Amino acid sequence: MFSVYKKEVQSFFYTPFVYVVTALFMFLFTLMFNNALGNLSQATFYFTFPEIFYNGIFYFIFLIPILTMRTFADERKFGTEVLLMTSPVNVIQIIVGKYLANLTAFLFMLAGSAFFPIFTAIKGEVVVSQLACAYIGFFLWGAMFIAIGQLVSSFTESSIIAAVIGEIIMFVFIFIDDFSMTEFIAQYPTIQSFVYSFAAQPRFAYFSQGFIRLSDIVFFISAIIISLAWNYISIEKRRWKKG
Amino acid sequence: MVTIEKLTKYYGNNRAVNNISFTINDNEILGFLGPNGAGKSTTMNMIAGFLPMTDGKVTIFGSDITKEPVKAKKNIGYLPEIPPVYPDMRVKEYLSFCAGLKRIPSAKKSDEIKRVMELLKITDVKDKLIKNLSKGYKQRVGFAQALLGNPKFLILDEPTVGLDPKQVTEVREIIRNLKKEHSVIFSSHILSEVSAVCDRVVIINKGDIKAVDTIENLENSLGGSLILHVKIKGNRTTAANIIELTKGVEEISKIDAEGNDFFDFTVQLKTGCNADDVRTAVMTELLKNNIMISEIFTEKPDLESIFMKLINSTGSKSGIEELYEEIKAENPDTKEEK
Repeated sequence: MFSVYKKEVQSFFYTPFVYVVTALFMFLFTLMFNNALGNLSQATFYFTFPEIFYNGIFYFIFLIPILTMRTFADERKFGTEVLLMTSPVNVIQIIVGKYLANLTAFLFMLAGSAFFPIFTAIKGEVVVSQLACAYIGFFLWGAMFIAIGQLVSSFTESSIIAAVIGEIIMFVFIFIDDFSMTEFIAQYPTIQSFVYSFAAQPRFAYFSQGFIRLSDIVFFISAIIISLAWNYISIEKRRWKKG
Repeated sequence: MVTIEKLTKYYGNNRAVNNISFTINDNEILGFLGPNGAGKSTTMNMIAGFLPMTDGKVTIFGSDITKEPVKAKKNIGYLPEIPPVYPDMRVKEYLSFCAGLKRIPSAKKSDEIKRVMELLKITDVKDKLIKNLSKGYKQRVGFAQALLGNPKFLILDEPTVGLDPKQVTEVREIIRNLKKEHSVIFSSHILSEVSAVCDRVVIINKGDIKAVDTIENLENSLGGSLILHVKIKGNRTTAANIIELTKGVEEISKIDAEGNDFFDFTVQLKTGCNADDVRTAVMTELLKNNIMISEIFTEKPDLESIFMKLINSTGSKSGIEELYEEIKAENPDTKEEK
């Protein structure tokens, strides 16, 4: 498992890949940051980083599938899947190793964003507890979508298709929140609460407001476990069906 | 020892491998021969534990590949048809990753990597990106990967495809040396390669086993009946009569006309006769009748012909002898074309 992890991390950090994605992430963050500064209330000079995260999520979702698109698609494309499957490691170890590597790359991105609070802390004041809470939430949110992105990557041989399908799923998860609020769905409270329970964004909103709720953590972690388990099934199934 | 029992693979309704069984003994190189699309790669993928089998059993040094995959795979080194290399990695990095996958203790890792790099002569490209290497080098990097950790059982799927003649010789030499410590199954569609390297061969076509035998047995079953080639200038009928009446000649299987009055005779000799005597007798008689000989030599029928027969035959046969009878029975139809 460790060797898979190490190899994946190497492939992120020895190539420009993770730096380019992080640069894009920081660029987006800069824009949001400037926006927040521009809208600063003249009375209090107060803005929050969690809000930046919350407002930026729509843009950040573009980055996750880019990060995960290659995970399994490239293994299939280059025929290296055979190497992994015929070595004395089991599939679960491969999946977990790759997942942890993706998380590492994501943490690197998050570390990049820490530049802004640090910069602000020098010139002003930062509420650390609230910020930490937002980071935990953002990390869990990202971890969930990385698991989904990795799952999608195991469906196809083309990393581009994996990225596009990944984006679509991200959009569904973003819009499911608004969708459950429409009048049409609101007519049926049971369906509404069912659909709403899949919405990840409101759960992240709690974190950004400074609440750590057990139910939200359970939601994110179960989504991760389900995605990774499905990932396992999809790889095994394809081996059995392979023609 | 590696045993393969009743291995069967269906892709949907399509049968790729049909009920094949054979064993690979310790310190033996087994050639796995068949035309393209015969089911070689499928079988090898199943033996290596990459593809699950529809039915059957593969046991590698006592561990069943489906029941104890991790234990069984520890003894396997696999070089698939397309070398499983990551284009964005450097050779040394890649081998180090593979060593980790194969759970080679980190203390032995660098020695082991050094050993396989030297064996395959890739030490001078160790810091190059794999995507910048030529096909031959990629193949060798893939081969090096299979040898890491010195697994007892090696599966090599067409290891010489795409190499230049010099590299082919080198790789064959490496494979031959592997015999000392390993059991090897080695697939190819090139017959001469298999006969140069292997102890025994398994010939398959369309998923069926056509023959399992040693190279010697394959040759011996043909060895008794040598073939004599005579190229003459002169009267065709006279020459044919003389040759046919010579002691030790079984039959004239073919006469090719070359130019005006040059004729090339392919003659089947009787089993067990002395080829030199026959050749001398034929020469003397022909010269007596003023027929000029421009070429005369005897040869063993090549394995190529038996291979072609085997893969063209429909039924599945257990022994080479049995097949040989069939081939001999079919042979006369090639007689006297011109």
